[in-house]
Amino acid sequence: MKVTIPIGPQHPALKEPISLRMTVDGEVIQDADIRLGYNHRGIEKLAEEKTWVQNIYLTERICGICSHSHATCYVQGVEKLMEIEAPRRGQYIRYLVSELERVHSHLLWLGIAGHEAGFDSFFMYTWRDREIVMDLLEIVSGNRVHYAINTLGGVRRDVDETQRAKILGSLDALRKRTEYYLMIGANEPSFVGRLSRVGYLSKEDAVALCAVGPTARASGVAQDVRKDDPYGIYGEVPFEVCTADTCDVLGRTVVRVKELLQSYNIIEFLMKNLPEGPIAVKAPRKAKPNEVVSRYEAPRGENMHYIKSNGTDKPERLKVRAPTLANYAATVKMLKNGFIADIPLIFAAIDPCICCAERTVEVIDARSGEERTFLFSELRRMACKRFEKFSQKRNAAWPF
Amino acid sequence: MTDFEITEKAKALLGGMALEVANPSLRRVFITVAPGDLAAAVTALRDHLGFHYLATISGVDDKDDFELLYHFANKHACLNVRTRIPKAAPRIASITPIIPGAILYEREIQDMFGIIVENIPDARSLILPDDWPAENFPLRKDWKFERPEEKIPGGKS
Repeated sequence: MKVTIPIGPQHPALKEPISLRMTVDGEVIQDADIRLGYNHRGIEKLAEEKTWVQNIYLTERICGICSHSHATCYVQGVEKLMEIEAPRRGQYIRYLVSELERVHSHLLWLGIAGHEAGFDSFFMYTWRDREIVMDLLEIVSGNRVHYAINTLGGVRRDVDETQRAKILGSLDALRKRTEYYLMIGANEPSFVGRLSRVGYLSKEDAVALCAVGPTARASGVAQDVRKDDPYGIYGEVPFEVCTADTCDVLGRTVVRVKELLQSYNIIEFLMKNLPEGPIAVKAPRKAKPNEVVSRYEAPRGENMHYIKSNGTDKPERLKVRAPTLANYAATVKMLKNGFIADIPLIFAAIDPCICCAERTVEVIDARSGEERTFLFSELRRMACKRFEKFSQKRNAAWPF
Repeated sequence: MTDFEITEKAKALLGGMALEVANPSLRRVFITVAPGDLAAAVTALRDHLGFHYLATISGVDDKDDFELLYHFANKHACLNVRTRIPKAAPRIASITPIIPGAILYEREIQDMFGIIVENIPDARSLILPDDWPAENFPLRKDWKFERPEEKIPGGKS
């Protein structure tokens, strides 16, 4: 018998509202379906009624963790439309915040992965170390979440010598801690055992389903907008694209830890080579009719904004594609043939911060297509009856 | 591959299908095709130029037409396939059989613009709620949001 388990959209443990329906046969997931829209705020429609400057702050509020990613993606697109370029010092500070944001986002994700894998001390360690980066973001921008550092034509705040010394001084501690996490990620047997071979996504599937970011890179697809389509100052910064070929949650963890180490190098480079000069140029109020495709490598993957101007002070169209949406098709593939117990881990591995499977309230009979609520005792009786027929594990389908 | 090579190869590959090929800035290529040629053009670009990765599909409401942009990318460039369909008969062929990752974006443009994607494997609504009134497509320019009057049960009317 196949049953469908609804997960979400509202659940005390879900950080964002999303509805998942898992059709399961025993413990093995046969099919997964995703329903979006519970958090749809109509930002693309709203952006058409706001001016270019107002939209910086609107796009910053698309996401709470990678807020700088959307604002930067938007700003670098609008700067092209307005035919202005941010001064080099402004760009260095802009992408310094980008890399600090990547560090805080990846450390946050590592904690979530540890928590979902049942390794809560890992979660507490990473989140303690994340505070170092949060403090740096606060001294650079004045804020912990929405940094509001971008403006059209540059950035709004300069970095002085004390801030620079503080950032460079904090990198040593972060490097040391991250190397320790890499050591744990590769050697701690129970952690590796929990993550390895969970949520398999082959390279072919990652390409066909248009996966992005660490999800794609952990399947051996060396795709990074910073390298493929260098925007801003990334053409002059040395760094490597981190990949893994294990195609599972362990690979996604290793990719993110390696990216942390790369980000520290980028931050060090930016701070040691910070050019002198102004941080912003004045931007015009209007933009000529034109269009631009702006790409940005957010912590979760490629961020794309398509911006069309019509000669006024408001955009004609602002299309936003966030990386999590691109990874949903791949997630459905990863969940198939996995176990119910792996749902939180697989889902957390694409970094949408959605976890914890709800599995008790109602169960829907998928075979007959009928929706009805079972009593828990009845469900248990049916399960016992089903398993009476099988000798132990005779019919268990091992997913890999 | 440089932008010039990509545009030249795309022109040779698509022949008469490419109505316009433009390279407005570094690593940005725009190709305009007729809606009927879309699937053939996407297949050719995928197989011969390696554009497997579809970033998204953007819809633009442009007076009497809808403009659709299929944003592809690979290691060398970001290639945007543009097509225009009349608002009176908004129909476009699905590219999900060619690019499986396109499914969510096609469902999104169905929801937001009321464009009918033909032969889409899964035509259900993706973003809009189940009780959304029919013939309301939020990203069309003539659609305006009006906040419904708030009614508090038992409160002042």
